[in-house]
Amino acid sequence: METVLSIKGLTKNFGRLCAVNNLNLEVKGGQVFGMLGPNGSGKTTTLGMLMGVINQTSGEYSWFGRQPDNEVRKKIGAVLEHPIFYPYLSGQKNLELNAMIKQCPVENIPNVLELVELADRRDDKYKTYSLGMKQRLAIASALLNEPTVLILDEPTNGLDPMGIAEIRELIKKIAANGKTIILASHLLDEVQKVCTHFAVLKKGNMIHTGPVNEVSRGAETVEVNAEVENLSDVLLKFSGTESINPENGFFQVTLREDFRGKDLNKFLFDQGIIANHLVTKKKSLEKMFLEILSETN
Amino acid sequence: MLHLLQIDLKKLTSYRTFWIVCGLYFLTIGFSTASGMEFLKWLANTFDKFGSELNINRIPLYHFPDVWLNLVWWSGFFKVLLGIMTVISITNEYTYRTIRQNVIDGLSRWEFLFSKILTNLLLSLTSVILVFLIALVTGFIYTPEINWNYVFTDLEFYPAYFLEIFTFLSFALMLGIFIQRSGLTIILLLLSYMLEAIIKANIDDFFPWLIPFFPMESISALVPLPFYRYAFQEIQDYVDPLSVIIALGWAILFNYFSFLKLKRSDL
Repeated sequence: METVLSIKGLTKNFGRLCAVNNLNLEVKGGQVFGMLGPNGSGKTTTLGMLMGVINQTSGEYSWFGRQPDNEVRKKIGAVLEHPIFYPYLSGQKNLELNAMIKQCPVENIPNVLELVELADRRDDKYKTYSLGMKQRLAIASALLNEPTVLILDEPTNGLDPMGIAEIRELIKKIAANGKTIILASHLLDEVQKVCTHFAVLKKGNMIHTGPVNEVSRGAETVEVNAEVENLSDVLLKFSGTESINPENGFFQVTLREDFRGKDLNKFLFDQGIIANHLVTKKKSLEKMFLEILSETN
Repeated sequence: MLHLLQIDLKKLTSYRTFWIVCGLYFLTIGFSTASGMEFLKWLANTFDKFGSELNINRIPLYHFPDVWLNLVWWSGFFKVLLGIMTVISITNEYTYRTIRQNVIDGLSRWEFLFSKILTNLLLSLTSVILVFLIALVTGFIYTPEINWNYVFTDLEFYPAYFLEIFTFLSFALMLGIFIQRSGLTIILLLLSYMLEAIIKANIDDFFPWLIPFFPMESISALVPLPFYRYAFQEIQDYVDPLSVIIALGWAILFNYFSFLKLKRSDL
């Protein structure tokens, strides 16, 4: 995989505040890269530096192995923080203006408007749009130049559940086309659903990076229930049981390494017990995120 | 280069305020310059002695070649309207934060600034052409006998007028980039002549040689007050090269300061 983005020692100080501290990162082509972190952890500042709107204090980065300049930015689609458009221009005219800046054909505009389902509102002024429509227009604008890299910063900020689901579907659709996506978010559930890799930032420091599917490796938790009186005693007998925790009328069984949910199922069956509820729970990114954050405290 | 101008014009031409301000500018210039004779007639009718001591038809306000300098000098007062337009255009980019998105989308900071400078050049040029046309028409209407030798003399005031407008717009652009808020910028722009006058009054006794180097002073000096000629029969009927150099220097400096500020700031 070719390296799309390479960051070396990137640092940004705002006066005495260190917003981003010595960040090193590589993003390869085709990855959907999630940047996680609490509010104020330096996600947007980092993306701002990568897009040339914030001058870094020190360090460097390169896009596609090239020194960054404005020509490179024309090949990247980016939405940082809020959608930004001229309020007195219509959606269509805003996109025409973007096309002029990115020097890409205006023929792309109907396609992207169709994709984000804004075609019927194209001639209304931007200021009349709802927040969800503004977000969608921003995504349309980011896709306008058919970029190979897409940067989205909190794309579902302030959206209702339906809007969030729509944007998530959209991201999946775009990722399926082989585009590299960098997604900054503090909605972990979202990142786990769409990302392949992730990094965790805290107070400007990167404290973890790795593939998302690694998160679900390791200890598994199985939620069990059966119509047996001494179920917890039986479960304790299972050699793969690490601990048992009754919760919401179910038993949460944390398994030892190398044991899977099906092993527990087989064990119960051998004991003559048929479970009426058995769910294998993967470790959530949220849990891992909180673990990582608390470890560094 | 044309591409950058098109980008900035695309932002402006759908902006209603732009048309209102430009419309006001061209209307006020058009009406006020074209109605000078009417004003003199009004003076003559209102004040008895005015008409008897002075034959208004002998004041060659609109006669070639006087008309060139007279109208250029008078139109200079209205440049503040164009300056306000420039301020609105740049401070909008900060208010809406579109300057940030423009850079994200692929303009370099210099390209962004240059698109604004190009618009300033275009506004200045439009103003020059407008005043030239008004002067040409009124000149032909009011000059009793057209002497073709006089029709196209004294035209060097038009390049000087162009420089006057452009330097002022560069100043407005720089103020907007440094202050970023429209109201405050417009107030400062309106006060700039007065503030400079105060400073000049205070240093007049110590460094009188410094006076011509002040920015507003230098652009005013480009086009001298023409009416002395009717009182004293003498007039500076040429463009002072020193004030051209000083005004040009300021225009370059203003835009350079804008560039430095843009380059260094986080958007």
